[in-house]
Amino acid sequence: MKRQDIANLLIGLVVLAAAIALPFYVDSRYVIGQVTLGLFYAIVASQWNLLFGFSGVFSLAQMALFGFGGYATAMLCFYFGISVWIAMPLAGIATVLFSLVIGAACLRLTGAYTALLTLAVAQVMYLLIVTDTDCFVMIGTQCRQLTGGAVGFARFGDLGTRAMFKAKFLVADYALVVALFTATMLFTWAIIRSPIGLAFRALRDNPGCAMARGISRFQMQLLVFGLSSFFTGLAGGLYAAHFNAIGPGVLSFSTLFFIIAMVVVGGIGRLWGPLVGAIVLIAADEAMREIGEFRSLGLGIIIAAVMVLMPNGLIGLCESIFDRLRRLRTRSSTMTAEVSGDTPA
Amino acid sequence: MEIIGPVLVSGITTGALYALATLGLSLVWGSLGMLNMAHGTLLTIGGYAAFTAASQLGLPVPLAVLAAVIVGGLIGALIFVLVAYPLSRRSPETFETTIMIATFGVALTLENTVLRLYGGQPLGQPLSVPGAISLGAFVLPWQNLIIIVSAIALMGATALFLTRTKMGRAIRATAQNPDAAKLMGVPVAQVYLQVLILSGMLAGVCGVLVSSITQLSPSLGADPMLKAFIMCVVAGLGNLPGAIITSFGLAIVEALVQFLAGARWGFPALLAIVILVLIRRPGGLFGRVDVRRL
Repeated sequence: MKRQDIANLLIGLVVLAAAIALPFYVDSRYVIGQVTLGLFYAIVASQWNLLFGFSGVFSLAQMALFGFGGYATAMLCFYFGISVWIAMPLAGIATVLFSLVIGAACLRLTGAYTALLTLAVAQVMYLLIVTDTDCFVMIGTQCRQLTGGAVGFARFGDLGTRAMFKAKFLVADYALVVALFTATMLFTWAIIRSPIGLAFRALRDNPGCAMARGISRFQMQLLVFGLSSFFTGLAGGLYAAHFNAIGPGVLSFSTLFFIIAMVVVGGIGRLWGPLVGAIVLIAADEAMREIGEFRSLGLGIIIAAVMVLMPNGLIGLCESIFDRLRRLRTRSSTMTAEVSGDTPA
Repeated sequence: MEIIGPVLVSGITTGALYALATLGLSLVWGSLGMLNMAHGTLLTIGGYAAFTAASQLGLPVPLAVLAAVIVGGLIGALIFVLVAYPLSRRSPETFETTIMIATFGVALTLENTVLRLYGGQPLGQPLSVPGAISLGAFVLPWQNLIIIVSAIALMGATALFLTRTKMGRAIRATAQNPDAAKLMGVPVAQVYLQVLILSGMLAGVCGVLVSSITQLSPSLGADPMLKAFIMCVVAGLGNLPGAIITSFGLAIVEALVQFLAGARWGFPALLAIVILVLIRRPGGLFGRVDVRRL
């Protein structure tokens, strides 16, 4: 094991320990609920980070895939009456298939083109759901659209935690999300360390050179698109099951950029970036609750300012501070005369 | 047969608006390699600036439009000075993606500022003209005529500016090859600033025109911007004449689909066309296939 692996493992264990300890020290239902929500976002953000940060695919369809997973779960339960526990993995697989279709259409292009096409796909999905007014089934005297229309789906079945744990069901749901988050991080870590992960990074850093080495850009990027969509879709399913509701709101522009902001603030292409970003932004969001109306305004300023002032995010900032400290120390131990002209990087 | 008239009127009107929105977007992309996600918000702000000038300050129409132009250009300049310039200096290799995220942050900030200042309820743009010319079954509202004529006039003026003036030549030189332009003594950073101001000014007018047939709302620019993105992609990013032709063509197709199949299918049909086009021609309809040296 390399030093970096040990460091990641240690960080992972600390994070997991903190996550397990939280419900024992915090009693507030509100806090547990917000942390659960934050973990959902962190899962999606980590998959977007795998896609963009590690593989250089700038996709704006991440929330569309999350929404697809959620809608697939809700619709499977609603129309076929199956348990959410069966519906969720099916939704995860369906999301992967859906992402492969989108990817096949959008990944022939690169860079900004991919971003625009995936954004358009997500927007079309949103518009088609919101404007859906044709009756598909009648529930009593109420008309029900195939996609749930602007309202979405609610009360299609839950995780069973309410019946099993009564008042403590929020903590049980929290535990499930922590488990999914752990699985996601292990999955992401395994991919990054594998030879495939190396190919992804090669395509990100120098596509021309990587392609000359025999790596197919289209195939590899389609692969990472599919891989990153599984846990995104599964998280969407768990999200729908946890709230026992899903609506078109998850597909909105602002949710998508909240996710992207998390990755940016934490650090693009850093394994723990999305988690750090999720914690910081949720905390900032809570702090800005005081000034209520200015929340989105503040979020916008944070995104733009972080991008301009520290493009590698908080983790990148820590890295460069550490780097500078280490260089200072080695320099002071081998202090010679030529130091003076050196400017810090 | 009777649908041809309305489809053409609505198609050409929206085509003119898309073309104008695309022009500003494509101009910035072509010269800076920057996809301005705040472009739609510039449209919104232009619309609100004209509204403020006309109905709150009581200025005449030309001055109201001028206000939209000035505010649009000013914000374009601010985006360059505060966001684009520092970002491009700091990390030129990741600029293409970082600028999209940063300008989205700008868009979020500006849109919420508008929301705070004017509220979320839709407002009527006072600059609209009632009435229509009718030739038998063919009806052309004055407002649509004004939009089409002013959009075409603005595009013509931009074309003249780019081809006939010294500043326009500097912009085109920088777009083709920034390094060579710099060696020839073109102040590249200043050219970039001019491009963003120009794009902001165009967006300002475009916002006034868009809001004159719909209504003013803080999310006014979002739809034209998304459509403009699509037009840019189909035409090949950075290709101005191609973008304008594509805008009119696709807007007519969109109007046709909306009349035949219902309003909600217009955008999905556009997207399907875009994807089909890009599978055949990944560089866009008019895009140059650029040779990349490694």
